[in-house]
Amino acid sequence: MLLEIKKLSGGYGEKDICKNLTCSLDAGEVLCVLGPNGCGKTTFFRLLLGSLIHTSGDVYIDGVPASTLSRKEMSQLIAYIPQSHTPTFSYTVLEVVLMGRASYFSAFSAPKQQDVQRAFEALEKLNIEHLANRNYTALSGGQRQMVLIARAVCQDAKVLVMDEPGASLDYSNQLLLMDTIVELSKLGYGIILSTHSPEFPFSVGHKAMLMKDGRILSFGETEQAITSQVLREVFGVEMDIISVKDRYGRDRTLCLPLHA
Amino acid sequence: MQESYKLEHKQLSARYRRRMAILLAITIIVILISFWIGYYPLSPSQVWKAFLTGLGHTTDVESQAVTIFWKIRLPRILSAMLIGSTLSVSGSVYQGMFQNPLVSPDILGVSAGASLGAACSIFFGFPYWSTQIFAFIGGLTAVLLSYLISRNTVHSQTLSLVLTGTMITALCNSVVTMIKYLSDPNDVLQQITFWLMGSLTKVNMEGVLWSAPPMLIGMVVIILLRWRLNLLSLNDEEAQSLGMNPRRFRLLFIMASTLLSASAVCLGGLIGWVGLMIPHMARAIFGSDYRRLIPGCILLGGSFLLIMDNIARSLLTLELPIGVVTSFLGAPFFVALILKRRK
Repeated sequence: MLLEIKKLSGGYGEKDICKNLTCSLDAGEVLCVLGPNGCGKTTFFRLLLGSLIHTSGDVYIDGVPASTLSRKEMSQLIAYIPQSHTPTFSYTVLEVVLMGRASYFSAFSAPKQQDVQRAFEALEKLNIEHLANRNYTALSGGQRQMVLIARAVCQDAKVLVMDEPGASLDYSNQLLLMDTIVELSKLGYGIILSTHSPEFPFSVGHKAMLMKDGRILSFGETEQAITSQVLREVFGVEMDIISVKDRYGRDRTLCLPLHA
Repeated sequence: MQESYKLEHKQLSARYRRRMAILLAITIIVILISFWIGYYPLSPSQVWKAFLTGLGHTTDVESQAVTIFWKIRLPRILSAMLIGSTLSVSGSVYQGMFQNPLVSPDILGVSAGASLGAACSIFFGFPYWSTQIFAFIGGLTAVLLSYLISRNTVHSQTLSLVLTGTMITALCNSVVTMIKYLSDPNDVLQQITFWLMGSLTKVNMEGVLWSAPPMLIGMVVIILLRWRLNLLSLNDEEAQSLGMNPRRFRLLFIMASTLLSASAVCLGGLIGWVGLMIPHMARAIFGSDYRRLIPGCILLGGSFLLIMDNIARSLLTLELPIGVVTSFLGAPFFVALILKRRK
């Protein structure tokens, strides 16, 4: 297992927001975390990334307990991809991607020629090497999201954690993002992402995890984990899950809300 | 395909290196010119001979020129360079750390806090080195207060940091006014008032030698760790996931840049706006990467303040306080900055 989370609990201060979370992820798999706002997705990610300290349970990355890893070692195993944001100052795309190399040289040092080479390779993997010398702040939301993914690739981590990717993107960029996520999983990355859309896991995910009030309601292979019953419990909405074939004869799954 | 973008990157880097070289050349020229001009003009050959005489060679230059070179012009040029570069560097560091383009040592209240500390020390008649320590403590308290208060407000960080800084500045200024009110009008009051005006008229070699070491310490820390400043301009969660400890580094950088601005206040009093303007100009020339931005700020800030000082001492027959000149340019610059952000 690339990533194993066992009975993880934790939150801010005294009160645990996430309670007793257990799930796992293999290399090459995509795990979609689904749930309403305030269900504890973000807290779960923080616990996972180590920016919040958990109160009980354990996270194992490649079989090693995360609590024994330094911040530096941690960042070489697990990378965080925030929602596309605009930084205060206008860095070039290359400079943003190079920040992914921070844990590979000492604090007194700066990126070297080989780091620039790695950054270009990461950009090429995402087909955005033409943006390398452009101003990051002047890019579209979709392009910025791609650059942040390239930064995570440049970080050489095995697990990518994505916080609601596509939340602020337009439709065509969301589709592009889905393709990118599938491509990355084929390259062997383990990907955990949070989403609001119950359909999203069916198009990209191998596994799904549904959360409510800091607990896991269901976890497993997407088809088993997401059922009408669980969706009603999580979102309070009646939904039909419909299997159809598209014009190329491929199996597709739709989630159809049944409210009036 | 990749190669052409790599080439473009190399050309971009080369362009920045060229710009840095040009700026270095300009700085050296400005330093040389600054020795010539002033109330008592020196010719280039007089400057050269006075320089040699001071080093122990015998030349035919007037002893007056030697005194002016070593006792007046040199400390003055050194302090203008030091103050200009330290204020600019600390301004750029504050801007990155607080992810806020509108802050600088004077806007955050660091300068006011440092001047309060220094005024206390002058009031009690403490020696110069303790003025430095008092200024540092005052500046550090001010910036930490600004930061902590602004974090707990409901307004946007950018705006609330500017507002709390203004408040801290007002608070410090009122205490300074009280100290002035209580001071002996024939001695201490004059000292404090004149110094707060922001002037290099009275700087001497002793002051430079006392202020230079803390400036160098702060500068070396920032220069060595400067690439990490890029990561601090992201939010903490991101910086952490990239493998750094943002809190520890932020504290270290706050200490270093406060040491810089407090020493600058000790040496030259309140010289406003430099710490805000220069980092933005340097970003326009060298880009946002702190690897180039910090050296850019050192050269640009140093030569800028030196030019301002030359203007201050040669524009009119009587000498203008340099703080007046920089504010005259800085305030409109701030307005332009706010208007530009609207776009």
